[in-house]
Amino acid sequence: MTSRLVLHDDPLVRRSFLGRAAGAAFGLTLLDGVAGKPLVADQPALPPSGINVIALMMRGAMSHIDTFDPKPGREEQGETKAIATSIPGLQFGEHLPQLAGLADRLAVIRSLTTETGAHEQGTYLMRTSYPQINSIRHPALGSWAVHVMGKRSRDLPGYVLVGNGNEHPGCGFLDPAFTPVPIADPERGLENITRPGYLSQANFERRLALADRIDHDFKQQYAGRQIEAYDRMYADAVRLMGSGDLAAFDISREDESTRERYGRSRLGQGCLLARRLVESGVRYVEVEMNGWDMHRDLWEELPEKVGELDTAMASLLGDLEARGLLRSTLVVLATEFGRSPKINENAGRDHHPAVFSCVLAGAGVKPGVVYGASDARGHSPDRDAVSVADFNATIAAACGLPWEKEFVAPNGRPFKIGHDGKPITAVLA
Amino acid sequence: MRLKVVPISQRVASALAACLIVAGAVVSLAANRAKPDTSADRKGGLPKAVTAAPNRPAMDVAPVDARRRDKVRAQAAAIDAILATRWQEYGVVPSPSLDDAQFVRRIHLELAGRIPTYDETVAFLQNDSSDKRDALIERLLASPDYVSHFYNFWADILRLTERPQRNLIFEPYLAYVKDSIRTNKRYDDWVREMLTADGRLWENPAVGFQLRDDGMPLPYVDNTVRVLLGTQIGCAQCHDHPFDRWTQHEFYELAAFTAGTKMRLGAAMRPGKPGKEAKPVPPPAVRALVKEAKESRGRKAAQLIQFIQANATGVSFQDRPLRLPHDYQYDDAKPLEPVTKKLLWGSVPASVKNADGREQFASWMVARTNRQFARTIANRMWKKVMGVGLVEPDDDFRKENPPSDPELLEHLTDLVLRLDFDLREFVRAVVSTSAYQRRAVIHDPTAAEPFRFTGPALRRMTAEQLWDSIVTLVARNPWSVQRPAAAEIAEVASVDLRQASLDDVERQFDAFFDRYGPGRYQRMLQQNCGYRGQWLMKASEMPTPLPLGHFLRQFGQSDRETIEGGRTVPTIPQILAMFNGPITHAMLEKGSVIYETVMSHDPEETVDVIFLSVLSHEPAADDRREARDEIASAADPATGCGNLIWALLNTREFIFIQ
Repeated sequence: MTSRLVLHDDPLVRRSFLGRAAGAAFGLTLLDGVAGKPLVADQPALPPSGINVIALMMRGAMSHIDTFDPKPGREEQGETKAIATSIPGLQFGEHLPQLAGLADRLAVIRSLTTETGAHEQGTYLMRTSYPQINSIRHPALGSWAVHVMGKRSRDLPGYVLVGNGNEHPGCGFLDPAFTPVPIADPERGLENITRPGYLSQANFERRLALADRIDHDFKQQYAGRQIEAYDRMYADAVRLMGSGDLAAFDISREDESTRERYGRSRLGQGCLLARRLVESGVRYVEVEMNGWDMHRDLWEELPEKVGELDTAMASLLGDLEARGLLRSTLVVLATEFGRSPKINENAGRDHHPAVFSCVLAGAGVKPGVVYGASDARGHSPDRDAVSVADFNATIAAACGLPWEKEFVAPNGRPFKIGHDGKPITAVLA
Repeated sequence: MRLKVVPISQRVASALAACLIVAGAVVSLAANRAKPDTSADRKGGLPKAVTAAPNRPAMDVAPVDARRRDKVRAQAAAIDAILATRWQEYGVVPSPSLDDAQFVRRIHLELAGRIPTYDETVAFLQNDSSDKRDALIERLLASPDYVSHFYNFWADILRLTERPQRNLIFEPYLAYVKDSIRTNKRYDDWVREMLTADGRLWENPAVGFQLRDDGMPLPYVDNTVRVLLGTQIGCAQCHDHPFDRWTQHEFYELAAFTAGTKMRLGAAMRPGKPGKEAKPVPPPAVRALVKEAKESRGRKAAQLIQFIQANATGVSFQDRPLRLPHDYQYDDAKPLEPVTKKLLWGSVPASVKNADGREQFASWMVARTNRQFARTIANRMWKKVMGVGLVEPDDDFRKENPPSDPELLEHLTDLVLRLDFDLREFVRAVVSTSAYQRRAVIHDPTAAEPFRFTGPALRRMTAEQLWDSIVTLVARNPWSVQRPAAAEIAEVASVDLRQASLDDVERQFDAFFDRYGPGRYQRMLQQNCGYRGQWLMKASEMPTPLPLGHFLRQFGQSDRETIEGGRTVPTIPQILAMFNGPITHAMLEKGSVIYETVMSHDPEETVDVIFLSVLSHEPAADDRREARDEIASAADPATGCGNLIWALLNTREFIFIQ
């Protein structure tokens, strides 16, 4: 452990870390507040370690009618039956039996609505609260959270994404340090984290130092955000390699029964990894689940998919509660939009931005709440329509983040964590 | 062309032995870590298939006409003239010109998708002829690596994946795209072919373009207009967008042209075009086979049914009316009312006035009078070479999003038309400009001032460029496996469902599965060019999409579900892969290209050889000194060499294109 830390005493590496510190200000001088410090005094006092977030992102658009907003008795319902939950009068789709049992711990929002029915734009909006435009990249909610609340661990990243980093807005205009670390496969964790056996620590350091010296001229010539972001990743990767907390990424250390309980799906194991990471001090973990874009033969695929979600999320909530972590951890279930009440000619459902459902649970959230409603067909909000920005402002408020505050980006324009959204006070604890 | 090979001296021989020790350590490490189920993994060392030089080129590529060189120069000069005026107008200073070393690296990455080899670099630097840049451009544009690189480029745009849906076996279409690049098919012909193709993937693989959005006729129109016309009408699929000019009604009017596209072969299918057989298949035969499979084939039934469906999938067209959605909410029409065909702009060419809707749509699309079609591809190919489009994003042409230089964009559009949509000649002209042959310039997309092309934009290598560059340092033959040709797939996948019994289907399925089934193809790759769980081959020839944890995906290769989904942003797993991953260590093995190159030169040259191999230039004097010190002070020269190679790979200079 100590010998690993020696690396940071190497003058060359230290120089690069000093470079990092300077880099943190580069291009962001207008962003008030330094990473790690709460930005304004009048915010509600955070517990010393602040709130953690585990966000489950259902990619491809999850059908609301088949999950959290069934319309029993209507032809729009299709093959999915409705079942009772632990809240009298409230029903879920039949493939969510475990979450139905936990309904009194959840806040279900049934009146989300958005304008865009395109996956990429919809997901971007859900992650950032802003429409995707060409001239600026907005930070994802997780990057805001780490920027404002700071990291909880010195070596571990503040923000981890279990899934595909390609479409992710990442840190947007914030410091590259708040970029999520993508984990491709929860079963494999963080790959290539250890040096090859033949490479000694001393030799590794020599290599780094040599690369740094040879690269000097190029970096000077092209000094700017692109190169700086890579420099930052190199420094963070070196620091991570020396971390004593790497076991957090290794779910094989969990016993078999636990792994089974989460379900042997990508989402299940991803949720288990998320729990381990949060326990070890990662602030924000996003877990992606793909495959919700069911344009054809929906009921051939949906039961299994929803079942995986049910098992994974229920186990996650149960585990967090049992470990006393649900008080400090907010669990979010989100998707980019809903699926059409009308069943198409291929026995599928098409994109439906007009209304959809998302779920919150845990820290900062009032349990056992259903907010808003869709109309009888599940087509449009019937009351209390909630925009994606409202939803994200609610998450921000539940975490104690300053959702009303304006942050000035490098281009001189003000941005807010939840854009123009207002938190739904009815679901806040 | 190669430099003189110096006989191996005493000192090199000892270095060689030492290098083997390094390689030996790799082997023992792999052995220690070996898991019981990885028996397919090589025990260590590089596979023979990649270390032996190939005895013939990977493929025949359409030749480039060297006699056009003067015309190309004139075309390049015309572009440079416009840019020079612009620089003056805005008071910006052009970036310094590239020296030969910078040029040879950049042009290889641009046209062949990889860094040059040591031999290629040295040969170019030692060449004294005044037209060596033109000659190199011409050679690269006619090379298999050009086909590979531009295949990757199009795969990202066209979302090329092997199984877009469970019932689609897409390899023939992928092979068709590659082949269209290899033969340098004119872009307008290529697009027309894809938009109007009929039949199954086996007989007419161009149908893949229409089948990519199988079952989603409206997103098909959205995606097609976005890719081919750089115009986003997708929002109008559901509603009139408050800020966009397109209404939902207009979207449906356009979609009406292709509404009669059928993706399941049935009795209504049209007879095939000359030379192409497009056999109508009576659906009852398919139904009977599916039923029998369900009843008699137990656990294998699901796979067999998919295979039957794949054989029953094909494109046919017969005009069909399209109706507005049931929830249409605007006053200009009623829900479920049929819409009449209407184009976004322009009119149906007279020659196809009486043709079917799809033919009219395709003819309008590629017509020379539809300038937006030429403009979109001009902008796209300009961006490919210069790093930034004149319109950004390149699929969002709108009045409110004007080109940064309208005159230049129109000039480039004219050039595309003048070249009759020969995109390779277009690229040839752009890389021949003096603007391109300048040092890269930092581009900040959030800046208020548009990019003025005082040089190409500084870019990180794409995932594929990085992979193929590393493979260049390792494998003398990166082409040991090529993606299967359309006919090869058809041979084992095609079944005539009108005549086949279920036993026939099953026999064919087994043959297909044996070669291309899940795991089978991968195992073949592993045996041929596997190295510690990686395949040492061209990125373009690999299965697709690759798993999320693959080096290429880590560095941002697209999942092939999103149009232009590739990215070049940094992440920590990328760095860890460069530090500790198997692929960067493959080049330290005996038999790797760089290893053999170092070994065949005098030890005095070691540092220069390594710099020229990895960074394509000689070291600066102080870098040479540093590197020599490093090698001299390392535990042994081999370790020192390994350290230097590793260090160069882990510079920003290596992954960014200067």
